[in-house]
Amino acid sequence: MKSLFTIREGGAANWTLRVITMVAIVGLMLYIPTKWEAGTLNTAIEGLTYMSAAMALNLVLGYTGQISIGHSAFLGIGAYTTGIMVSRWGFSPWVTFPVAFGIAFVIGVLISFPAARIKGVYLALVTLALGLVFPQLATWKKLAWITGGGSGLPIACPATGVSRSCEGTEVPTTGFNIGPKSKGQMQTFEIFGWNPFGDLRRPDNKAAFYYWIALVVAIIVYLACRGVVKSRVGRSLIAIRDNETAAAVMGVNLVRTKAFVFGLSAGLCALPGCVTAIKTGGVSPEGIINMTVRGAITFLIVMVIGGAGSLAGPVIGGALYVFVVDKTGTWADDDKIPGVLRPFFAWSEIPPGDGIFAVLLILLMFVAPRGIAGLWKQYIHRIVRVIPRPAGAIGATPAMATATATPTSNHEGEPQ
Amino acid sequence: MTLGTDYGMPHSSTEGGQLGVSLLEVDNVTVRFGGIVALDGMSFNVEEGHICGLIGPNGAGKTTMFNVVSRIYQPTTGSVRYRGQELLNVPAHGIASLGIARTFQNLALFPTMTLLDNVMVGAHSQGKVGFSRAVFRLGAAKENKATRDFAGDLLAQLGLGALAFRPAMGLPFGTLKRLEIARALAARPQLLLMDEPASGLTHGEVDELSHTIQSIRDQFNLSVLLVEHHMSMVMGISDRVVAMEFGRKIADGTPLEVQQNEAVIAAYLGTSA
Repeated sequence: MKSLFTIREGGAANWTLRVITMVAIVGLMLYIPTKWEAGTLNTAIEGLTYMSAAMALNLVLGYTGQISIGHSAFLGIGAYTTGIMVSRWGFSPWVTFPVAFGIAFVIGVLISFPAARIKGVYLALVTLALGLVFPQLATWKKLAWITGGGSGLPIACPATGVSRSCEGTEVPTTGFNIGPKSKGQMQTFEIFGWNPFGDLRRPDNKAAFYYWIALVVAIIVYLACRGVVKSRVGRSLIAIRDNETAAAVMGVNLVRTKAFVFGLSAGLCALPGCVTAIKTGGVSPEGIINMTVRGAITFLIVMVIGGAGSLAGPVIGGALYVFVVDKTGTWADDDKIPGVLRPFFAWSEIPPGDGIFAVLLILLMFVAPRGIAGLWKQYIHRIVRVIPRPAGAIGATPAMATATATPTSNHEGEPQ
Repeated sequence: MTLGTDYGMPHSSTEGGQLGVSLLEVDNVTVRFGGIVALDGMSFNVEEGHICGLIGPNGAGKTTMFNVVSRIYQPTTGSVRYRGQELLNVPAHGIASLGIARTFQNLALFPTMTLLDNVMVGAHSQGKVGFSRAVFRLGAAKENKATRDFAGDLLAQLGLGALAFRPAMGLPFGTLKRLEIARALAARPQLLLMDEPASGLTHGEVDELSHTIQSIRDQFNLSVLLVEHHMSMVMGISDRVVAMEFGRKIADGTPLEVQQNEAVIAAYLGTSA
């Protein structure tokens, strides 16, 4: 198979492509908060939440091959850590992020110990139990003294100090008040009249502010996953997924590695939970659907559709998921469906988002078991082939520039 | 059964070993699976720099013996010492860093990884970057480069350089067998355990393999414990051969001695009685 272009990894052409992609991504990151309405911005925040959670899940499921249908609980732990610390004890929301990571990490490690002994469907069931029990625990009357029980806990809006979820109640006004509190305004940053961080001036436009928190969290989660994947540890994770016995013979400590990856994944999954709690203005299982098993299933769908075992996969999946759900949100009303698509979706009495993803999942099983990211890698080398860097005595030649469909290949997630 | 009764009286004292330094000492090892005795008081030594062949008819317990040494099975009784250190206290993932590597009979590669990555995992025990250093990229890139170059050198040496960036999945059996050797060598072993490396190979490939085993022994200065059915290969390259039947050792000596041993002939051809 001939490809149109052949470039060398680390060469000028490769770097040009990388820089172009980076500029495009950063451009998009800035475009969204500056130009989008608060409503659409909320969709973007939701997308970032799914991306972060799916990236965390990907470490455990996509790379290490350990099934988890309970990651919603870790997101919930993050949300409740923020809720309890801010609402009960008056901490700044910033402080709650590392604390939530720590708590979820410890719980993740504890859960990994039985997980290291059981496999496949049994592990899926144990984690499912975790996902099921979390909302129950959170609303348990005997824990209401700390969790707020069924009504949950309010968190003051970090931007204004005003709680959305419980008007009239006294709530702590700690938090991210940027600028003079009396005016209920945040500081602005402008370059020639353009505000690169979005319009944060109006107290009612908090969406841009939450967007930035969600984005920073997503970037942190991405960098953490990328660091792990592109290292000795990342290779050992894939080795465990591919052949546990062989991995152990190579010197991989199975129990410890699984414990760490479960802990890290749980900790990272808690971070978008903190964001959700802050954005929602309070925590309760009804208020944050993603901390129920429904959330865990969504993370799973996002990860699988985007591409399990690939760094870009959950990002693509998260973007696609919120795009489809957002676009089809009004389709329960037949008149809102665009003309061409009406015959396909008119039968649905509820928004057809879930149905679309159901079909997509089945299709992907046949066409691209490695998700959209895998499909991309499969076809992109018809246009551009990247010759890997030479490794030791192996000087790479164009003939060797095959599509390396492996998650650890050195040009993972880069545009080629 | 008493442990280590004949420790200090290496079997090699009268036969085979010129170098006389035991790298691996298997002593009175018994393995029972339920009521079945897979290994019954097996004892033998592997000496430094030797290629030691372990032969026997099907079901003799060769692979069981092998899995005991590579810490996949825990024997019921007995002792396995490596450089004088008791191996049975070391976990399965601990033997690579002691300098013991193995290959698998039916291939235990990482199919979704490239050949290069497979060999890089082989060097796992040589690396230092753990989770926290990986997350913060502290020295990870440097270690990656060093491991990658080392793995590339090994692949090139085993004639797999042209396939380095291909996933292992779907490559020919003979190629993957060589990949197993490259991956094992990445752990910089002093003792290489090879489980039927010639099985499934063509005649030409077997000859090539014999040559490869001898040359890596000389070049990497290691000892080899070879479990093999292919008699001419074992007899051709081994410094010493241990023959087994029904979980017991029936002969132990130079290839010539073992070939002429009555019990070995009986085990392979049956007795005339």
